[in-house]
Amino acid sequence: MSAAALVLDRIDKVYNPEGARPVHAVRAMSLELAPGEIGALLGSSGCGKTSTLRMIAGFEAVTGGAIALTGRAIHAEPPARRNVAMAFEGYSLYPPLSVRDNIAFALKSRRLDPAEAARRIAEIAELLEIDDLLGRRPSSLSGGQQQRAGLARALVRDADLYLLDEPMGQLEPRLRAVLRGRLKHYIKTRGLTVILVTHDQTEANALADRIAVMEDGALQQFASPATLRDRPANRFVGAFIGEPPMNLLPAEARADGAGIGFVLPGGARLAYGPGEMASQVREAALACGAVIVGVRPHAIRLSGTGLPARVAANQWIGDQSHVAVSFADRAVVVVEHERVTARSGDAVGLSIDAGDLHVFDAGNGAAVSHGEVLA
Amino acid sequence: MSTIELSGVSKRFGASVALDGISLRVESGETVAIIGASGAGKTVLLRLVAGVEDPSGGMIAIGGADMADVAPERRGIGMAFQNFALFPHMTAFDNIASPLSARGASADEVRRGVESVARMLKIESVLDHRPRALSNGQKQRTALARALAASPSILLLDDPLRNVDAKLRFEMRLEFERLLADQGATTLYVTQDYREAMALGHRIAVMDGGRLAQVGTPEEIYFKPTGVEVARQFGDPTINLVPAHPASDDRGAFATVGGARLDLAPGADAVANGRECMVGIRPEALAFTEDAAGVFVVEAVTPLNEKVVTLVAGAEGTELLVSRPSHEPTRRPGERVSLHVAAREVLLFAREDGARLSGAGAGAGAGSTPP
Amino acid sequence: MDHQSTLERVVRGVLIALVLLFFMFPIVWILMMSFQTNEQILRIPPSLAFEPTLENYQALITGRLETQAGTLDIRFMSNLWNSLVLSVCSVALALVLGVPAAYAFARFRFRLGEDIAFTLLSFRFAPPLLVLLPLTLYFQELGLADTYIGLIWVYQLICLPLILWIVRGYFEDVSPDIEHAYRTAGHGWLTTFRRISIPLTAPGIAAAGLLAFIFAWNNFIFALVLASADKQPVTVGALAFVTASGIQYGQIAAAIVLSITPTLALALYAQRYLVEGLSLGAVKG
Repeated sequence: MSAAALVLDRIDKVYNPEGARPVHAVRAMSLELAPGEIGALLGSSGCGKTSTLRMIAGFEAVTGGAIALTGRAIHAEPPARRNVAMAFEGYSLYPPLSVRDNIAFALKSRRLDPAEAARRIAEIAELLEIDDLLGRRPSSLSGGQQQRAGLARALVRDADLYLLDEPMGQLEPRLRAVLRGRLKHYIKTRGLTVILVTHDQTEANALADRIAVMEDGALQQFASPATLRDRPANRFVGAFIGEPPMNLLPAEARADGAGIGFVLPGGARLAYGPGEMASQVREAALACGAVIVGVRPHAIRLSGTGLPARVAANQWIGDQSHVAVSFADRAVVVVEHERVTARSGDAVGLSIDAGDLHVFDAGNGAAVSHGEVLA
Repeated sequence: MSTIELSGVSKRFGASVALDGISLRVESGETVAIIGASGAGKTVLLRLVAGVEDPSGGMIAIGGADMADVAPERRGIGMAFQNFALFPHMTAFDNIASPLSARGASADEVRRGVESVARMLKIESVLDHRPRALSNGQKQRTALARALAASPSILLLDDPLRNVDAKLRFEMRLEFERLLADQGATTLYVTQDYREAMALGHRIAVMDGGRLAQVGTPEEIYFKPTGVEVARQFGDPTINLVPAHPASDDRGAFATVGGARLDLAPGADAVANGRECMVGIRPEALAFTEDAAGVFVVEAVTPLNEKVVTLVAGAEGTELLVSRPSHEPTRRPGERVSLHVAAREVLLFAREDGARLSGAGAGAGAGSTPP
Repeated sequence: MDHQSTLERVVRGVLIALVLLFFMFPIVWILMMSFQTNEQILRIPPSLAFEPTLENYQALITGRLETQAGTLDIRFMSNLWNSLVLSVCSVALALVLGVPAAYAFARFRFRLGEDIAFTLLSFRFAPPLLVLLPLTLYFQELGLADTYIGLIWVYQLICLPLILWIVRGYFEDVSPDIEHAYRTAGHGWLTTFRRISIPLTAPGIAAAGLLAFIFAWNNFIFALVLASADKQPVTVGALAFVTASGIQYGQIAAAIVLSITPTLALALYAQRYLVEGLSLGAVKG
């Protein structure tokens, strides 16, 4: 692997450090991004992702730790000297300039040949479908159009790093889906290094090579979308990634001869005979005792047999059925690709393969096992 | 007995026409989901029923009575607004209590009413908070509690889940089904999310440019859309639409899509009758076959949560999206593949106006019944 | 931004001190003058050290001004009372008329609506002297000259446009959906106006009322022409201190201190509302 493009080394951010209530917004965040990689900072509002981005851009000073970009320390540099391009969540276009001049402004300092500048502006404008808006003023544009103009202004630059803060939040869903693909293609063909901040995991999944899941100022896991989905590092990531989210059930793991049983609230028992569950997983779960078992909605099967549950809601949305069943004193969500005909109130049987089970330690929330492998 | 009846309702703002001759009857206790792009007139329609705007033409009746001269406060409705519209200077309790106190309920009745609806929506713990101290999810539930508090016979919900995050939206969608059934109110539910419309509406009214493009059950809308615009609004990923010329030979009606033969329902060529057509195929209706000599090449594979979306390209730049459950084997970019789709799953549209083509006995694109 | 050098901090301190000095100096000077006799004020060179005296205030309150030329009757206290009556009544009337009008202009589109609103604003642009002469004639004819009612009426030219335009902006900032929500909850429009629209714009109404009060209090020209001695506000009354034997600086200073006290007190009290008024954006959540 080549040298990292961006290195965050245990950066901290404390707001109001001497005040009565200091806010520890980012805690010892470390992360390395390879050149040409797209990383996403994903989390709900207040998780510290925007503070992290602002520290990289230079709008906030780091309280502790170091930031290096292409090998040089930048955390003490003013924003203008970091060679970082940023697209803002709020559209920060210069109101008196046309969209074209706004985008061209980003190229001014480079002393580009005018023909080359015009070519690059035309290219990015076409990509983002704002080519017919280039002559307009920002005030006459819709929110989504302004956002795309802001994105164009950031992407047209030559920078060592591109920071995109919720770059498509204002766009209509259909356009968003189209632009995601194009944007990724554009970034990848030019080998740009990008950090994307978003709270929308579909966006992060579609665009990012690796996703940093943040919560309460701390990095929970930094991994590829597939890893986050198949091997979440802890209970938080397990519950956070996936739409609809993973079902989590508190359970007591008990040996059952050579098998194992997970006793759920309300007395239901998820039992696996010898050979059904990998032995090392069985040992680890039993060693834990109090665990949380997680299962993705599409891994649960509904049938006439299995653990008894009752349908609370059954919603068919064309290519899937989303079913909520009352099970183990809570609402468990099931996604089926075939249409489920059961009606609310019907009794159904619910079964879960041991291979689809995620086990988390109930104490610290860390993952114990994913399917047949230990975490 | 509270039907809502709109006949020829229109609304103009100056020169622009927001609603154009809307006629719709909502039965007592029925939920009709109104869906459409922004600017299609959904919210205006709801405001007319609520009485906070007056129609420019046509008649609105609730429970059989003409509402022309009835003030909003006398229509017996509960309404939840997209931006919540909570009263910022009142606590959540007083917000929820407002419809009860307006009906002259005693302090004791108000308290019991508020507490019961707050319990149902799980916001008992925040009743003494002002709106600005509430999270988005709590605001949304408070707004809903206020709409439900007086058990109105008409419920108007204006995209109530729009401003909450995806997770809560999913959770609330599942909860809403029972909530609406328990209320038993006649409900108009405005949304931009086709999933909400299909999950919650007994019927769905699709709006487009101030008109009703189609009104029907979720099955009718999904399998028998009246046109391309309706078909496009339902399904994720959206329906594949490819230009085609239906013809027939000794094996039956067919069209050529991306260099491959696509079997159509018998008589499809007669229905098309030489017109320029488009075939519509839902991404989940397409399946990969084990035929090695495929004419399609895999371009991109996007794993979503519980399905994998594959973009394949055929001849003449034809691109198709294929959506399969994630437990099925996935393909690799560059791989050659063949596709299969059942003839009854193929929809046929006229190219010039996007209307779905179907004729008596022809059955072209006639929706399959769901499995 | 956190990157701030010592130099920047020093320069900022000096600049703030200069601004404070510029704005506070006249007020402090007047306050000092009000405790000095005319002789002390006018001595050359001026000195900061003086023996404070309450003579000026005493003269104002008792209404007897001793000058070298003799004793002069002044009606300062009744002028102060006139100012209070005129300003309070004018603002109250302007609020009663202006707030509902502002609501109408903010919420409803009606024929000539914008034109009417603009015409009302244009009263603020017209030079008062232009309308005063004909107005004087009319008022004399109608018997309104030299009456409180007549003055309060004319003061609407000052207060009404101000309240109308400021409060209209605040009403426009309140989402109509909040009112719609209250209506559909089962309340009539008047209740909705009282319980929702007014409380939500209260900070704005308070701010506009305060501003109108200050403008009314400071008005000079209307009262100068339309009021006689017993209806005069302080602004006109202060002319009495320009006597044949010289200008009574000490009394003028004392009169100014007394006359700005009510507006100052009101402004300090209402500061809370003014700040709240500025952060009204939070309402939309």
